[in-house]
Amino acid sequence: MLTEDRLMSEIRDANLSYLILAQRLIRADRAQALYRLGISEEVASIIEALTPSQMIKVASGNTLMCRFRFDEEMIWSLLADHGRRGEREDGNASRLHASILMAGKFSEAV
Amino acid sequence: MATRSLLEDNKQVQRAIALIGMGARLQLLQSETNLPYERLLKLYKEVAGKSPSKGQLPFSTDWFLSWQPNIHASLFFNMYEYLQKASALDEVEALMKAYELYQAEVQTNAVEPLLSITRAWRLVKFIDSGMLCLTKCTRCKGQFVNHAYELTERYVCGLCDPPARAGKGRREGSIH
Repeated sequence: MLTEDRLMSEIRDANLSYLILAQRLIRADRAQALYRLGISEEVASIIEALTPSQMIKVASGNTLMCRFRFDEEMIWSLLADHGRRGEREDGNASRLHASILMAGKFSEAV
Repeated sequence: MATRSLLEDNKQVQRAIALIGMGARLQLLQSETNLPYERLLKLYKEVAGKSPSKGQLPFSTDWFLSWQPNIHASLFFNMYEYLQKASALDEVEALMKAYELYQAEVQTNAVEPLLSITRAWRLVKFIDSGMLCLTKCTRCKGQFVNHAYELTERYVCGLCDPPARAGKGRREGSIH
């Protein structure tokens, strides 16, 4: 199955990009990275310490390492600007609304 | 002075410099660093290039309850609370980091940061002292800054139910 193989290798690519980005964020500014990645101090320390070869190993499974952080319809519809009557097209209120809900979700998660 | 650790002293100075750079008022520095007033004043002039503004701090809790400020304050405080829980930062560090996150977030949405670092600090103090609190909106389940002791059973936030004139102004950098 060629498509299957390609999809699996795309998962590995996404895993590696994700790990590299996560490590860069953590090294650049740890506190901000905890917020932006939505991870705990412990996980941050582990990712921060990974060597490149370890990262490749970790990334090489067929399972995606990252996942959707929000399972709430409200957040998705605000982000996609759905279901808001009378909202102007360039309105930023729903984006900020989503930001508040997301920030609140993070604090529930940890 | 002689008994104080040089490292600790340096840390306090760095912190004061960062806070001044973020636009903090002198009262914030006096409260959150242990540097003497004269040094803070000198530092302020050197970093900001001008004398600190005189006069009282904005001390009213009402400011945080009007429509636009409430959105800013709620966004900031949710971020602050997250950092308090997720990281080992002390209160001032969390204030500064959350403020950076808040600034980046509103600027991404082309909104001016209406909440100054000094206001953000007041907000943290008001919530610490129980004058303000976070209330859960019954519709979106988000946490919003609200007066303490307000009835909360039917609370609906300003974003789920904006007041009639809210966001009608087309001023640059405002929420609409």
